Amino acid sequence: MLDPKDLQRSPYHLNRRRLLAGLGATAVGGSLSGTVSAETMHHSVADAPVANAASQLDSVPHLGRHQAGVVNARPANGMVASFDVLASNADELEALFRTLTERIAFLTVGGSVPMLDPKLPPADSGLLGPIVRPDNLTITVSLGASLFDDRPWLAPLKPRHLQRMMRFPNDALDADTCHGDLSLQICANTQDTTIHALRDIIKASSRQMILKWKQEGNVPVITPGPDGRAESARNFLGFRDGSANPDSSDAAEMDRVVWVGAEEGEPAWAVGGSYQAVRIIRNFVERWDRTPFGEQERIMGRTKMNGAPLDRREGSEFEVPDYASDPEGKATPMDAHIRLANARDEASKANIILRRPFNYSNGVTRSGQLDQGLLFICYQANLERGFIAVQQKLNGEPLEEYIKPVGGGFFYTLPGIRDASDYVGSSLIAAARGA
Amino acid sequence: MRISGLVGASALTFVLTSGAFAQEASLDLVEPIAEYKIYVSEKLAKLVEDTTAFTDAVKAGEVDKAKELFAPTRLSYEAIEPIAELFSDLDASIDSRADDYEKAEADPEFPGFHRIEYGLWEKNSTEGLAPVADKLLSDVKELEGRIASLTFPPEKVVGGAAVLMEEVAATKISGEEDRYSHTDLWDFRGNFDGARKIVDLVRPLIADKEADFLKTVDANFETVDTTLAKYKDGEGYVTYDKLTDDDRKVLAAAVNTLAEDLSTLRGKLGLD
Repeated sequence: MLDPKDLQRSPYHLNRRRLLAGLGATAVGGSLSGTVSAETMHHSVADAPVANAASQLDSVPHLGRHQAGVVNARPANGMVASFDVLASNADELEALFRTLTERIAFLTVGGSVPMLDPKLPPADSGLLGPIVRPDNLTITVSLGASLFDDRPWLAPLKPRHLQRMMRFPNDALDADTCHGDLSLQICANTQDTTIHALRDIIKASSRQMILKWKQEGNVPVITPGPDGRAESARNFLGFRDGSANPDSSDAAEMDRVVWVGAEEGEPAWAVGGSYQAVRIIRNFVERWDRTPFGEQERIMGRTKMNGAPLDRREGSEFEVPDYASDPEGKATPMDAHIRLANARDEASKANIILRRPFNYSNGVTRSGQLDQGLLFICYQANLERGFIAVQQKLNGEPLEEYIKPVGGGFFYTLPGIRDASDYVGSSLIAAARGA
Repeated sequence: MRISGLVGASALTFVLTSGAFAQEASLDLVEPIAEYKIYVSEKLAKLVEDTTAFTDAVKAGEVDKAKELFAPTRLSYEAIEPIAELFSDLDASIDSRADDYEKAEADPEFPGFHRIEYGLWEKNSTEGLAPVADKLLSDVKELEGRIASLTFPPEKVVGGAAVLMEEVAATKISGEEDRYSHTDLWDFRGNFDGARKIVDLVRPLIADKEADFLKTVDANFETVDTTLAKYKDGEGYVTYDKLTDDDRKVLAAAVNTLAEDLSTLRGKLGLD
């Protein structure tokens, strides 16, 4: 187990002092408010970028009624990795789940990396050095429909709404970045931590599953406003994304929107889980950047600068648009993205989903355009009523000219790991054995 | 220099804190290495013989016969690839792929087995292949000569078992090696045989101490054998496109696991 002293024995303290000194100097100098100017920081070229010293030690509990990585705030980096699973019986699947649980327990809590005989390959990739710090890491395990469909002993236990992601009209799905038997959503403060976790798990599970695809992304880090309220991050279209998300700190709301309860009619083993929809949505950013500003706002239904609804342009992103007073769409066009997605009426409340997206930037297409977009991830207690219903409302929206979903999949996020003696997916294995 | 000092220090720390150290390299390896050299020589003799027949067919314009000889000829090369790769110039001219060249198949520098494979399958012709065939045969003979006078480094021989699996895992399991002829399963066979030969040669040295390890490795080789056996066709194998998705996954997992496990073989034998 981890000695907290080990975790704190780090070069970051030095950097943190430097950072604080820099802030002090800035305040005295009275330069740009709240920012650290380059002149006040004394970096050597060889110095690593200054991280928030506290963030290395941030941790999200991996045990609980629900898995971590769903209702807790997004850290700056996220990734979805999808795997094909080899298991052909309950014992083999249990072995995989136990391997995952063991790695999750180590990686999210942190600790010293075991040192082996130097003649052997190292136990750890070493990306994070001899001591792994939690760095806000969460690893969320979810299962795809194919895991159930391809295994007669598991098929009767498939969650009611779990299905292979269908093709929506605007999709151009690439088989190489779709579906999978098992998804891992890996999130952390830094990209190195997510990559370290993925490599660790691949090494530990090579006989049990094979990597099929992965997509990494990140969320721009934002300084809270003067009122202390964090604003929503911007996506690669330059708009705030996530403004109307349900309050993930409201446990009752999350029970209603995100978590599968006993009343959903799902198999008993699935209670405490959630449906995960992943979509890799390419943005045609060059074209978007050549679209008039006013049109961009009408397509999205929000002001670009502050994220306010179009019927209260001077407001903030947190204000609720009043569509009832705008029945013809004069302020907010009827086919604006946010209006189609959520009409803000009684009926739409059933379709609320918890969005947890990351921006991705992959490279350059054959046509010489940027391959970037949104790694869209959302969670909901009912996939049909949630993502599928919302996407159906969005089908044909004007935004489609600028976006192209190319990958992703539907998965069922397993219930939580209850305590240190439990493992992820234990209720499913028990049900498979009991059947 | 500072870095190597640090590595030394951490290794020392390890020695002091842990008793589980691998055994030192011993003279016991002399015999397996000598045996392996005989194995490689036999494979090379076969490779020269088969390549002669193959390139003769290419030069005689016998497309069908050349196609028939392509995969079996490569089998011997694939089995000894870790040793052949010690001579990177020859490996490139014998076995490189179109991707290694800027203009791919159209690149005049694209040589060797796969250049001929491209002509035979994609163009159904031997046109322009005679000089490529001559060069291939002379390269293969050159390889035989160079290996004959080579002292086999033990760590390369033992490490070769993992290298073969790494190659399959990284660039072969997808069927990209023999992309024109789709004879990849033959190559797999060669790679697995080569890896298994190495494991078998050193087996007596670790049989007692590493019984569990050998059991796992054998089980994975067994998985590979049973899976490949489903695709047997006469002396060889059906084309790669017949491999089902499920069996490809089974092979991929077995290969990845063999690569993981065999990567410890050098250390287990005390080789650095």
